[in-house]
Amino acid sequence: MTERLRLINAVIKYGDVKAVDDVSLTVRDGEFVFITGANGSGKSTLTRGIAGLLPLSSGTITRTERLGYVPQVEEADRNFPASVWEIVITGTQGRGGLFYSMGSRRRALQAMDELGIRDLAKRGINSLSGGQLRRVLLARALCGEPELLLLDEPCAGLDAESHALLFSVLRKNVASGCAVIMVTHDASDLEGIHADRVITLSHGRIVNDE
Amino acid sequence: MMSELLEILTYPFVYRALIAGALISVCASVLGVILVLKHYSLIGHGLSEVGFASLSIASALGLPVMLVSAPAVIIASFVIMFVSQRFRAAGDIAIAIASSAALALGVLVSSLTGQVSAVSNYLFGSVLALSDGDMILAVMLSLIVMGVFIVFYNRLFLLAYNEDYARSLGINTTLYQFVISALTALVVVMGMRITGTLLISGIIILPAVTARRLASGFRSLVVMSGIVSLVSFVLGLAVSFMINIPAGAGVILANTVILILVRVIF
Repeated sequence: MTERLRLINAVIKYGDVKAVDDVSLTVRDGEFVFITGANGSGKSTLTRGIAGLLPLSSGTITRTERLGYVPQVEEADRNFPASVWEIVITGTQGRGGLFYSMGSRRRALQAMDELGIRDLAKRGINSLSGGQLRRVLLARALCGEPELLLLDEPCAGLDAESHALLFSVLRKNVASGCAVIMVTHDASDLEGIHADRVITLSHGRIVNDE
Repeated sequence: MMSELLEILTYPFVYRALIAGALISVCASVLGVILVLKHYSLIGHGLSEVGFASLSIASALGLPVMLVSAPAVIIASFVIMFVSQRFRAAGDIAIAIASSAALALGVLVSSLTGQVSAVSNYLFGSVLALSDGDMILAVMLSLIVMGVFIVFYNRLFLLAYNEDYARSLGINTTLYQFVISALTALVVVMGMRITGTLLISGIIILPAVTARRLASGFRSLVVMSGIVSLVSFVLGLAVSFMINIPAGAGVILANTVILILVRVIF
């Protein structure tokens, strides 16, 4: 199996505070990994570190370049003048090229179909509900054909139907060899879901990996 | 009235002003969309003060203004952008410090060297005094700005929307920030001749702010900002002829009136 992520003794600090403390973790293709823990346990910091948004204070990280990242909160102006289509297709920009190819457009459409948001394509992002926006962000992550999907609290604000759809889409990607890391603080997200591993964080350290 | 305006257009200094001014105004307004959306609205103002300082120094030393101002303003734009990136909340402080310090330096140098009247053209602009060389420079600069904007359109869109996400995709966001900074700096340097250093930020920001009320998507916002800027420039220039006021002030006031009208009507 191919490694998609390897963290060795990773430390991420905010000032003198270690938000992630000596975390070592390897994730391979086709693995479905949950990271859980209480608020403030370092889950989101670890996620942002893996996504390359926070530098490691020490330790090393090796990961595939084809990352699909779904942040907990979209760090963007909700009134930004953009349509759903314009946002989704940006997910293909990690594959290089300054212009969107036919392949990029096809993948973006496929991802929107998969998540049932094609009819929203021309809608402004400022008109979406929280649940619709989460589907848009997942479609954006998927259309880059990621080898590693990194999702930070993707179930927040989802109704039961969207929740089921999310896991069906994730399962399909895992089956095709994508590694999935999903961060959640809510243990109920794990109910009825078969995860390959559940990692528990506390005070920035891995306290359980089973 | 119409025949008078058409006759005015036959004067070389008028068509030079029209061509160079319209091109720079459109470039400024297109870049302004990115700057407004990224909350860097004041960067044009800060850079124009740096431009004023650099042209005071150029005048004092007897050097060509563009030779001194272009690199000085580009470097200043990099520093401001770097500080904004490194210490996110400190961007406005960096601009305030750079603009006030540069303005003071410009006033000091021009006073000590007796160049106050020479640099005053740049304070309020002198679009009608543009030479053929200025016009050619404006055309070349506009081609560069528009070319870079078109080639990097998708990257600039993503950068304006969500820089963090762009970074997670492995995109070199710092490089594109510097591209935006360099283009803004070049537009500011050229724009100093049109509206003057005191008003240049107006042609960068006002059209984008107006267009936000008229456009729903990013592409239409860029196009609409360019159109608003072009209309404002032509109107402002025409009014400045008719009532004999400085062209820069006419252009900015035309932009302001259109902004108010759009806000009231839409």
